[in-house]
Amino acid sequence: MGSDRPVREAENRLERFNGDRERLLAEVERRVVAKKLAEARAGGDASLEYVLNDVAYCEIRRLEAASGKAGAIDRWRDLSRRLLAMSEADKQDELRSLVRYYGKDVVGNFDPRVYKFATGIGPSLLGFVFSPVGSLREGMAAMRSLDARIHADGEIDVARACAERGTIIVTPTHSSNMDSPAIGFGLLRAGLPPTTYGAGKNLFSNPFLSYFMRNLGAYRVDRRLKFELYKDVLKEYSAVLLEHGYHSLFFPGGTRCRSNIIEKNLKLGLLGTTVTAYKNSVRDGAPHKRLYIVPATINYRLVLEAETLIDDYLAETGKSRYIITDDEFSRIGRILEFFRKILVHEGSVIVRFGRPLDPFGNDVTDDGESIDRQGRVVDPASFVRGADGEVSDDDQRDAEYTRALGRRLASVYPRLTVFHATHLVARAVYDTITRAAGTRDIYRLIRVPPQQLVASADAVASQLERLRKRLAGTPAWGSEHPLLAAQEASAVVDDAVRGLSSYHTRPIVSRREMLLQVDDVKLLYYYQNRTAHMPPEEAA
Amino acid sequence: MTEGNRSIAGQGPTQRRDTVGIVGAGAFGTALGSVLARAGRRVILWSRDEAVVETIRTTRRCPRLPSAPLPEPLEATSDPRRLASAARFVVLAVTSTNVRDRSRALGDVIDGSHIVVHAVGALAQPSNERVSQVMELGLPTLKIGAIAGPALPDDLAENRYSSIVVASAFEEVVAEGRRLLNAPPVLRVYGSMDLIGIELASALSGAYTVALGLSDGLSMGPGPRAVLITRALAEASRLGVAAGAEARTFAGLAGLGNLLVRASDRSADYQFGRRLADGSGSTADAARTEGARAALAGIDLAAKLRVRMPVLKGVAAVLTGRLEPKAVANLIGDTVAEAE
Repeated sequence: MGSDRPVREAENRLERFNGDRERLLAEVERRVVAKKLAEARAGGDASLEYVLNDVAYCEIRRLEAASGKAGAIDRWRDLSRRLLAMSEADKQDELRSLVRYYGKDVVGNFDPRVYKFATGIGPSLLGFVFSPVGSLREGMAAMRSLDARIHADGEIDVARACAERGTIIVTPTHSSNMDSPAIGFGLLRAGLPPTTYGAGKNLFSNPFLSYFMRNLGAYRVDRRLKFELYKDVLKEYSAVLLEHGYHSLFFPGGTRCRSNIIEKNLKLGLLGTTVTAYKNSVRDGAPHKRLYIVPATINYRLVLEAETLIDDYLAETGKSRYIITDDEFSRIGRILEFFRKILVHEGSVIVRFGRPLDPFGNDVTDDGESIDRQGRVVDPASFVRGADGEVSDDDQRDAEYTRALGRRLASVYPRLTVFHATHLVARAVYDTITRAAGTRDIYRLIRVPPQQLVASADAVASQLERLRKRLAGTPAWGSEHPLLAAQEASAVVDDAVRGLSSYHTRPIVSRREMLLQVDDVKLLYYYQNRTAHMPPEEAA
Repeated sequence: MTEGNRSIAGQGPTQRRDTVGIVGAGAFGTALGSVLARAGRRVILWSRDEAVVETIRTTRRCPRLPSAPLPEPLEATSDPRRLASAARFVVLAVTSTNVRDRSRALGDVIDGSHIVVHAVGALAQPSNERVSQVMELGLPTLKIGAIAGPALPDDLAENRYSSIVVASAFEEVVAEGRRLLNAPPVLRVYGSMDLIGIELASALSGAYTVALGLSDGLSMGPGPRAVLITRALAEASRLGVAAGAEARTFAGLAGLGNLLVRASDRSADYQFGRRLADGSGSTADAARTEGARAALAGIDLAAKLRVRMPVLKGVAAVLTGRLEPKAVANLIGDTVAEAE
């Protein structure tokens, strides 16, 4: 757990970020403009007229839908009107100006003073901020070492070796807006350097977190901007950061996982920039500038926004609500509640780091050499070379490499999963009540009368015992929280019921003498979903 | 020479790019090498058997397919390093029982820039995975593909018209396969991105070849034979789609093409089906032909993916001795006839 070894100054490459920022932006602008001009030569949909019109059209639609200010919309309407009459040179100027505009919108900032504050006295202050006013002393005591509540373990030594040898890209699972601070503290606890990362622009609406994110290297990702030019700017910015050695962080799940099932279908957009960045380094004669993808899972005892997320998952419109702006994260009272009731538990968040991979999904040795499935050392640069050793550009090949990387990540996440008592007991209760109900279908269970959603505590404990045994025998499924190891099943059940009945709007499970009553089957389903990759006992 | 423009192991850049490496001097590997070399393509043929290599060097013929001339652009070697350094594009032409070992051995000498396609029309033994899945584990490169189709070694050796399809998830593999293996008029190469479909279609066509052998051995006649072929393709397509493949692949060279070409006495699967029909074959031999193994593996996969496969089920029932050939003949086809 954690490490006494401080992050070496040399590893905190973000300290030089502000000095580099203009150079990075200029590089992004140069590359995106050059790419768009090269593509435009093919004409048709790639012509500058289409590219600019696509931007204007998408911006007008977005602003109209958001009832934006007339002035803002006018800018894009004006561009749309002028397009037909614009000379080629004018279009190129407009393209350059838009790339610069979106580049500035994306770019982050790193203030070493804020970092020192956040990693030094920050957690204590955070404790103060998040303590209920009526119990200041208690809150201060509980939260003085907020980061100590966040445990970090796993293949930390290898990840550190990789961070020293090259550039790491941390790729955690994503279940909560609390993930950004949680992984930040997780990295700190693991003795890993801070990373830059793309954070949804909606997260910057929380002024407190926005201040920290803005000054700790986060760059803004506006997921409302769907046009290609913006995606190009974003991806190029990420690639340039990696080429310049800035450790980064992506959430490959793309958005918070609604179901709490460990992510399988990963979004590969930003992840693909690792291949691009490495290819560029090889082309520049620097194949030794290695990139390492560090898988990680963030495992919460309880999830701040669980209620909204599972409702969204179960609703038919779930997929269309890609950006949720009215969840628990937007309600300061719920965040306070979350900190006060959840984060005071020892190890209530555990970040587990996996063994790093190279951009092509290969494993790496302890000192960062790529190896294939047979354990043979392979040269990662060879993956981007052609028949004669030349570096070759092939977007389809690179996308396929990234898909392979995504498959590897998805395959290692279950093994890295750490189950809290809440997950295991939710699963044991779910198994017990579904056996009685004759269905595991959540939509049917929602309609089952409450008096049938009852299980005896003994039955749940023995179900839990069997579940733990199966889990212990199958490391590929993950492992239980280290603090649970010494606990009897009945104690784990008690601990979980305390958690499951304490934070959410209404209890998920409550104890009635020797019975456990399920009060919120949707949330029970949400927490047990973390174990969804473990087949039901009957099927096994 | 700069880092980004180096040549490898002394090969001239253009030469290596235009060379085809072939692993395995069996009948198909030899025939393919012969066609390509006769078309002027440079070929490196790797055999582990020194005697075979020496024979090719001295006689320009391979003992496994003496009818195929192997002219000068073809070089035989027993050194896999020579193959890897001389060619980036490699065809793995070995049997399904050797795929694992040969992939591992090839993996010792190639790197991530190599392209490897296999020519194995069966599932890998002993675990019945698709061959490309085994290659992924054994090779350091991700650029993997397959070639399949009704190209018989004798046809290739004797300049008869043949066609194959090269498939991969990588466009580069397909494009290079078509560029390097195309040798008209003898061999024409089509492309596909449906690697799963090509591999399954090719393997299952072996299984259905056993069924055709049974059908012909029982003298069922052209009508039932036609029904058998069309229903076999329909159910194979269903299985393929469930496994992530495209249905149309099964009506192409790897599926229907392979099935038609294998339904002759030159095929071990077909002969086995005929022997079962006339009572001279034993179900104990079921593990010996690739088609019979594919039938049993196909049934497992169908159960896993919950796909109804009456034809394959019938073949498997005969192979496992649960039904007599005559009894199964009446069951071939969907028992619940639906819209085609």
